[in-house]
Amino acid sequence: MRGNKKWANAYLVFVFLILYTPIIYLIYYSFNSGGTMHDFEGFTLEWYKEVIGDTRLWIIVLNTLTIALLAAAISTILGVMGALAIYYVKKRQMKQLLLTLNNVLIVSPDVIIGASFLILFTIIGIQLGFTSVLLSHIAFSVPIVVLMVLPKLQEMSPTLIDAARDLGANQWDVLTKVILPFITPGIFAGFFMALTYSLDDFAVTFFVTGNGFSTLSVEIYSRARQGISLSINALSTLLFLFTVVLVIGYYFISQKSSTLYGMRGRRK
Amino acid sequence: MEKEAIIRFERVTKEYDGLVVLDDVSFEIERGKFYTLLGPSGCGKTTILRLIAGFTEPTKGTIYFHGKPVNHVPANKRQVNTVFQDYALFPHLNVFENVAFGLRVKKKKRLEIEEKVKQALRFVNLEGYENRSIQEMSGGQRQRVAIARAIVNEPEVLLLDEPLSALDLKLRTEMQYELRELQRRLGITFIFVTHDQEEALAMSDQIFVLNKGKIQQSGTPKEIYDEPVNRFVADFIGESNILRGTMIEDYLVEFAGKRFTCVDKGFRPNEPVDVVIRPEDLEITTRDQGKLQVRVDSQLFRGVHYELCCYDEDGNEWLVHSTKKAEVGEEIGLYFDPEDIHVMRISEDDGEGSDEK
Repeated sequence: MRGNKKWANAYLVFVFLILYTPIIYLIYYSFNSGGTMHDFEGFTLEWYKEVIGDTRLWIIVLNTLTIALLAAAISTILGVMGALAIYYVKKRQMKQLLLTLNNVLIVSPDVIIGASFLILFTIIGIQLGFTSVLLSHIAFSVPIVVLMVLPKLQEMSPTLIDAARDLGANQWDVLTKVILPFITPGIFAGFFMALTYSLDDFAVTFFVTGNGFSTLSVEIYSRARQGISLSINALSTLLFLFTVVLVIGYYFISQKSSTLYGMRGRRK
Repeated sequence: MEKEAIIRFERVTKEYDGLVVLDDVSFEIERGKFYTLLGPSGCGKTTILRLIAGFTEPTKGTIYFHGKPVNHVPANKRQVNTVFQDYALFPHLNVFENVAFGLRVKKKKRLEIEEKVKQALRFVNLEGYENRSIQEMSGGQRQRVAIARAIVNEPEVLLLDEPLSALDLKLRTEMQYELRELQRRLGITFIFVTHDQEEALAMSDQIFVLNKGKIQQSGTPKEIYDEPVNRFVADFIGESNILRGTMIEDYLVEFAGKRFTCVDKGFRPNEPVDVVIRPEDLEITTRDQGKLQVRVDSQLFRGVHYELCCYDEDGNEWLVHSTKKAEVGEEIGLYFDPEDIHVMRISEDDGEGSDEK
């Protein structure tokens, strides 16, 4: 048994090494003064300076963040409403159908979603740019939020709603004083998922973005195609760090809500 | 005492997807009494509670509240509060806020809320627990919070949906006393739902025994126990020996191949009937002195008494509760008084009703 466990651990370390080596490699050479990704000549922050001094890049960063925050916020609102709607559907078949339609959107390839949005936007005449990117990001984030919120709703005992009604609460009170507080952890999880999905989306954005509007992932892609510059490494490193910060932030928020919910959170 | 009906059900029927769960039920609930709806699961007792609370509407018939029909009045507009089986406390609120919930949604003043919540918590012996979270409370304490949350709204009727079923035996017995005491102090009507007949007998002023969506019998605990109207009630309330018999004439009944004098009358001559004798009314004597002769098949020591399972010559089973001991395999006599025989008319749906315990 003990030997088995040792091998399992070794395997785990091996997998993580494979997954993280390219990232570490990339980060390592972002400090290379030599300008290539093979011979490390000396430590430099040159590339970071270049990234920070690049105003066009900063506009793109702002674009990306604006899109991500807006898309996450709007899709969280829509997703919570959608989850509530599915929760209140009485017919089992209808419920299943809605849920399946929701899940299909999550598993279907980004390329197909991107291409279909491109067709849609050109048909109805929406100009490609900020609006089209925002709309498509909202669209692919809503199903994710629904999926994060719905289990929380189903975890809630229906007698909680009965109890609130019994105590004199109207529909609005029930929603704001009972249901929403109960599913708050799910809403936060949905929001952060939507945020990360929007931040790192490449395929869909690539299709629906137009001239003069770009997000970070699309920008990095096009710069990498133009030729090797280690400023891309620096930019990627910064993005990677940002993601790590997001993950840690999410961890602390979910930790806090699980102590708030006591046993309920610990059980999970 | 003035007889004032707070709630009246008039020929109420409730169907779920064509399935009748409550079948043409009529009854009245008076002010200040402790009522129990008793029956096996699926008998319709919780449906009655949900109808009174306003969570669901009757398919047919009318529910009156102080003489006014309330079929379409939603739950949040009714002067009724419920203690739920799983307590349904709000996990994101502490004890104080849980109890204050009803007052807050009614937009009461802060000072009033504070005072009333304190008072309600004092009523259920939970002073000083205001700032605890629900997760920190034990099962019994949660139960009390749920009761406080309901009574703080000063309802005219408090509905309790099997509130003791999640507690262990000792706590349950304690809470039975406390609930009864609470009802007396508050002076409001309690409607208590349970499938536990001992609980019902111990606590109620009035019991409704339900089966298959119909009220089988209503009466005081003593009436229900001593004078069950049919096989189902006799079987469900306490333990009983039930035999088919024939009412030869007034005060004379035949069962187990013999004729006995009894105190019942008003049946047709030679009408087939069900005969009930409670196990504790059977006394062990010698074979010759007994009115019935049986052989002891098995014996269990139950603490307060011995439980004997005996068979007579016709193969009828006789359950006997006796403080005296017998030997397994021994032939003994059973003695009983004429008052111990209870004769019941056979009702239509009896055949199926009886084996559903």
